[in-house]
Amino acid sequence: MRKRVNRIRLFLALLMMAFIFAVRSNSISVAVSEGGLSEAAPDASVRSAVNFDHKLDSYAPLKDRYNFYFTYKTVHPWWDAVALGMEEAQRQYLEKGIIITYEYMAPDAASAEDQIRRLLTAADKGYDVIGVDVADEAVISPVLDELVDSGLKIMTFSSSDAVEGCKRLAYVGNTHNYQDGADLTEALCQKLDYRGKVAILVGSVGAPCHEDRARGAKDTIAKYGDMEIVATEYDMDSVDMAYELTLKILEDCPDLDGIVCCNMSNPVGAARAITEKGSSAVIVGMDHDEDALRYLNDGVIYCLGVQDCYSIGFDTLQIAVKLADGNLPGELFHEKTDQITTVIYQNDAALMLELLYGEM
Amino acid sequence: MAQKKNSNRAFVLTAVIGSLLTMAMVTANSVWASRQTGVATNEAVSAVSSFYLEAMADRRAKTITNLINSSFDQMEKAIAYIADEGVDSQEALRDAIGKMESLLGLNRFALVDEDNIVYTQYTTYTGGSRHAFLSEGEITGRIISTVSLYGSSKQLCLTSPTPGLSILNRPFKACFVQLDIKDIVDLLAFDDQGRTHFALYSKKGGNLSGTELGPVISNRNLFDATQAFVPQQVLQEKRDNFENEREGSLSFASDGMDETLVYVPIQGTGWEMAVLIRESIIQEQIRDISEKTLANSRNQIIFTSVSVLTLAVVLLFQYRKLSRDKLKAERETSRAFQAMANTDSLTGIRNKHAYAENEAIINRQIQSGALEKLAVVIGDINGLKYVNDTLGHAAGDQLIKDASEMICHAFSHGAVFRIGGDEFVILLQGKGFDTMDEVIGALNRQVEANIKENKVVVALGYALLTPQDRQLSDVFERADNMMYERKKALKEMGAKTRVS
Repeated sequence: MRKRVNRIRLFLALLMMAFIFAVRSNSISVAVSEGGLSEAAPDASVRSAVNFDHKLDSYAPLKDRYNFYFTYKTVHPWWDAVALGMEEAQRQYLEKGIIITYEYMAPDAASAEDQIRRLLTAADKGYDVIGVDVADEAVISPVLDELVDSGLKIMTFSSSDAVEGCKRLAYVGNTHNYQDGADLTEALCQKLDYRGKVAILVGSVGAPCHEDRARGAKDTIAKYGDMEIVATEYDMDSVDMAYELTLKILEDCPDLDGIVCCNMSNPVGAARAITEKGSSAVIVGMDHDEDALRYLNDGVIYCLGVQDCYSIGFDTLQIAVKLADGNLPGELFHEKTDQITTVIYQNDAALMLELLYGEM
Repeated sequence: MAQKKNSNRAFVLTAVIGSLLTMAMVTANSVWASRQTGVATNEAVSAVSSFYLEAMADRRAKTITNLINSSFDQMEKAIAYIADEGVDSQEALRDAIGKMESLLGLNRFALVDEDNIVYTQYTTYTGGSRHAFLSEGEITGRIISTVSLYGSSKQLCLTSPTPGLSILNRPFKACFVQLDIKDIVDLLAFDDQGRTHFALYSKKGGNLSGTELGPVISNRNLFDATQAFVPQQVLQEKRDNFENEREGSLSFASDGMDETLVYVPIQGTGWEMAVLIRESIIQEQIRDISEKTLANSRNQIIFTSVSVLTLAVVLLFQYRKLSRDKLKAERETSRAFQAMANTDSLTGIRNKHAYAENEAIINRQIQSGALEKLAVVIGDINGLKYVNDTLGHAAGDQLIKDASEMICHAFSHGAVFRIGGDEFVILLQGKGFDTMDEVIGALNRQVEANIKENKVVVALGYALLTPQDRQLSDVFERADNMMYERKKALKEMGAKTRVS
């Protein structure tokens, strides 16, 4: 009898705890890692947004030395974060006695032509694997096919894959850019009560991730009759250009209600312009640029979609090793290794700044 | 005598009260001193802890400064080596960098070319956005900066320009190392049993070292953690100190615990080294020491008091014994002097002075009517002058001694005095008085027999105290008269006299 009473007490206690947790969490749901933005309890969602705790899987590399070449869109802190994940994997391989050397190169401004030149140069240098963060899927994908046809092992990484059907061997990164754009825009529409004028800032022309997010944004806005897209502009991954473009948009449309930013430079330039002009336009955007996080902390930016760059870097190197050993997607790894994106709000900004930049 | 007794009592009283007062003063002084020590100790704790912490912080800050300077020196050596090495490929460059890392202990040693491409032992990357110092264009001098490894540990980046360095036909503008702050912390850490805590802070109070600065501040931002305990104005002053790389201290109380931290800037880094100690720990330790000292003092006081008391008691007894001995000696001396004064040196019997004293006493007794029975016998030696003149004084003296002996033997129950050269007085009371007639009769018969044998002849006269007598001399006079009569009678019996 007493046992039964205790069980009832335990059940009631658990019920009470669950109720309290639910009240505290308000309307936040647990993070969804596959194919979309996620929202979770503030502290937990921020901490799980970027996973720094990686260990190499059990795969035993066939060689004790590898040499890779990676190229990405443009010199930017976002890819520096990817690099840190790669370096951690490199360090862990070194602990196992496996030396991995690589080059990790990008131009100062995104350019498909520059990327082609780099790829062709690398193709002649005997790298075990070449990894590409595709600058322009339409332009770069055929080049990748040619390189694969020539016997090179090509993979894509970070947030931009090649076009569907490209012969590249594997991809590690964001596989849900369209959904990210749609989710961020949905948050904006909700904030604006589903009415108002919205501008869309995109990154580089042809960059798959940027274009996909922009499409997601456009499709979402199209769902609401009282919402209107007043401008769509490309900043070519330049903060200064994002700033200039936003100023111009505000000049053309002073009563702008919101801006959807599809890359890392967009929200920084947009927030700067909004602040300068005293506009009340709501900004939603991508990534974790330090300045963007500060604008988020100050309430200038409404929300940011943070991608797990560190994990992208770590997993890219692991899969590059497997590819170099002649493995193909299958049991060892997927053709597309997805990484999560987490939406964070003003309350999360300080902790994210602390986690990523150490608040120095 | 009474005066002497009073003096002794005063002396003892003074000694006792003096001892008690001295002990009381010593005790009070000890208690006061210990309390003062406690107060002074508490006041000193803050000063000492600040001084102690400042020294610790300074020492640790200098350790970091030395590490930085040493690293810069090593980087210069590494660059000199690589420049002379004749590197002809990227692989050779990586090998050279790796060699320098391991030989000179350079952590994450890297070279940067004019296009901001960074070359490390295993990686080559475009670093324009990753390294803040590369955004400044030309590098003309040493740069010390702090970098956060994207949620991982924070590092101290030391950058040095490499003017004139060209490798693989590419100009190189800088080299740098990145020291992991965790390694620096390990260098600074030492086991002090958790009594002190230290941490490195950024200008904004952010914890760089990941070490906990005590339980209250922990590894949080220093200013965020202390704002609840420190007035805003004070906190702002500390913020300014951090911003302007100044040293200072901060004290606050949390949950009844006093905490003090001292911070000193680390030259060139923009960091502040903070060392914290819980004053209660020092106070507890000092309190332990104080309590031990107090316990020792108490024991000493008790020991001293017991010793003083024991000594005082011993001295008192000694003094008492000495006094008694002295008194006894004085009495004996007095008695000796008195005996000497009252004793006839020739015969050893009492002399005329003794007789005078007895006469005074007896006179008081006579006058008070307390004396009923008293006889005075006077004895005079016949022929002493003759013996002296004919046989010498020695024979005369012997005659006196023989006479004295005979008289004393006869009047064993009387007081015999020699009051003149050849004259004796015997005072008879009690049994002597009662047996007086038999004794005198026997002695007279012996004297008469001695005449024929030419031995000692003593003429005896005696008289009894009568109610009419007012003093002893009255009785003496009658006895003396009788003695003269007897003297004459003895002369007639053939005894020698003074004149004969």
